[in-house]
Amino acid sequence: MLAELLNTSVMVSILAATIRIATPVLLAALGELVAERGGVYNMGVEGTMLMGAFTAYLAAAHTGSLWAGAAAAMLTGGLMSLTFAFLVITLKVEQIVTGLAINLLGSGLSVFWLRAAFADAGQTPTIALFGTAPVPVLHAIPYLGPVLFEQKLLTYLALLAVPSVWVFLFRSRPGLDLRCCGENPKALDVKGISVAARQYGAVVFGGIMAGLGGSFLTLATSARFVPEITNGRGWLAIVIVIAGMWRPVPVLLATLAFSFLDALQLQIQGIGIAIPYQLLLAMPYVFAILALAVRRAHSGAPERLGIPYSRDGS
Amino acid sequence: MTQIEHLGWRIETRAEVTARQRAQGLTLAMAAALILCSFLFLAAGANPFAAFAALLKGAFGSWRTATETLVKATPLIFTGLAAAVAFRARLWNIGAEGQVFAGAIVAYWCQHGLAGQPPAVQLPVVIAGAMIGGALYAGLAGLLKTACRVDEVISTVMLNYIIVYALSMLLLKGPWSESGGFFEQTAKVDPGSILPALFSGSRLHLGFPIALVAAFLLQVIIARTPLGFEIRAAGSNLRALEVQGTNTTRIILVVMMLSGLMAGLAGASEVYGVHYRLKAGAVAGYGYSGIVVAILGQFRPWRVVAAAILFGALVNGATFMQIKTGVPSALIYAIEAIILLFYLGGWAASGLRLRRIARAR
Repeated sequence: MLAELLNTSVMVSILAATIRIATPVLLAALGELVAERGGVYNMGVEGTMLMGAFTAYLAAAHTGSLWAGAAAAMLTGGLMSLTFAFLVITLKVEQIVTGLAINLLGSGLSVFWLRAAFADAGQTPTIALFGTAPVPVLHAIPYLGPVLFEQKLLTYLALLAVPSVWVFLFRSRPGLDLRCCGENPKALDVKGISVAARQYGAVVFGGIMAGLGGSFLTLATSARFVPEITNGRGWLAIVIVIAGMWRPVPVLLATLAFSFLDALQLQIQGIGIAIPYQLLLAMPYVFAILALAVRRAHSGAPERLGIPYSRDGS
Repeated sequence: MTQIEHLGWRIETRAEVTARQRAQGLTLAMAAALILCSFLFLAAGANPFAAFAALLKGAFGSWRTATETLVKATPLIFTGLAAAVAFRARLWNIGAEGQVFAGAIVAYWCQHGLAGQPPAVQLPVVIAGAMIGGALYAGLAGLLKTACRVDEVISTVMLNYIIVYALSMLLLKGPWSESGGFFEQTAKVDPGSILPALFSGSRLHLGFPIALVAAFLLQVIIARTPLGFEIRAAGSNLRALEVQGTNTTRIILVVMMLSGLMAGLAGASEVYGVHYRLKAGAVAGYGYSGIVVAILGQFRPWRVVAAAILFGALVNGATFMQIKTGVPSALIYAIEAIILLFYLGGWAASGLRLRRIARAR
């Protein structure tokens, strides 16, 4: 078994799959990272991704355009997180409970809409998938080329989002203000800068990213929407932000670690090694608990994460 | 300076919210939720009034359907109570879903060797097994929180996913799979282990009165016992309790296990009262609905029972609605979420007020 896995061409294919599988989770995790840096704990990622996956599929099936699908997913993600933002920032509802409500909405609405939209069809139609877009020249590099440069456009976008988010958070004025919302919102408020406006922006950005991440599942992976297609990826994105200590590069590494596990699992199933497949599928979730259990407690968490800001409050 | 202040309004927190203001806020919110739901009916090509009427008729149209509503409400009472007791202490146990599975699995594990024994032997084993299974699985999340500082929201969600695969492993070509069976399920359980029906001609079974007893006991525990005091105190300020010298680790573990125990009972109730087999389809979905039920019931046991019956009615009526109007029954899960969102919004908004202020410059 080990010999089979260590074969270079197998390794290359596992690593290429790792990068591909990382895409939806990385997009969602980077979005959540920005929201949490702004002090808002959005636990509705799972439902937002799910609705993104669904509306992307629906729009692509109706228009025939995959980019229309991606745009629909971003719009849906933005709207869902706007709802979330209104409840938790303006009305100051408990963030955990609101996030759960968003998840329930995503899971209920996507199934209902799927049944309603394709009521007459016996089977839901499949859509064309995003093809791979090899990067000229670079894709010819041995080993590295097939792993990094023969991916889909959304994957490149997700990878490029890592440095972009880093530059935004740590090298720009709005990024500094946003981090201040998560650490010491009062300081911003006294300066006459609206905390709520920054937080709305961060949460909606997070929702757009989660929606886009969800769209990858239908537009680039499965060609069809099935209920609960996200299968916990939104929750993994939240775990990854914690394991990545609220910093973009560690978040990328944590995403890759989880995706590697997933890619390895696919490969092992492919070779047909006699391990119950359920054990392999449960691995990421077990791994997530272990990752949180061994880390130092709350290292790097924004000081005011999950605590709504009000001027008269503490 | 918030955006809204530029428009000449300010949102202020009400120092005191009267019951009347609360009721007004919630009524308005529920009306808005109903209107939004009506649009969903329209989108599905149905007349909203006809659809609501069908929903109501399917839920309470006859004695039989009304008892069936209680059948559907039973697991929701258990999971609603599970979420209520944990949330009351501000412990976010999202894991009722997995704890229902755990209850069903342990109940089956304890019971399936007892085939042929009288109900007086098997039924207590089923009930106890379910409570132990749910309590241990929730206790694991409690332990992860107290010993390793793993946030209970995340650990319980992860445990929800894990146990689905664990059950699948036991059932698909596993030790418990029905011999010669094609589906992922056990064989039918022994007749002596079945929770008996309360009346002939109805599926309403012993699980329902057990759920009412559970609600009563939980009410007594919360209102009348030292543990209940600690639960309420933990809900308002865990730090203060800690400073006072109370062992918060113990409270967290006890509350999590009490919560899991309630959820576990839903597993036994569904497997031994309704489906007579252990399979994922018998136990899935009740945990998440239970959270909605608990919030709508304001974490108070008897109100949770009422909310569970309301949601049981939705689930029960939905089938008839689908036949009558063609609206997919999955709609009720979207309705559940919409009601919850508006309820939360209405509750919070009734504590705020908009005041006209001089336009800021």
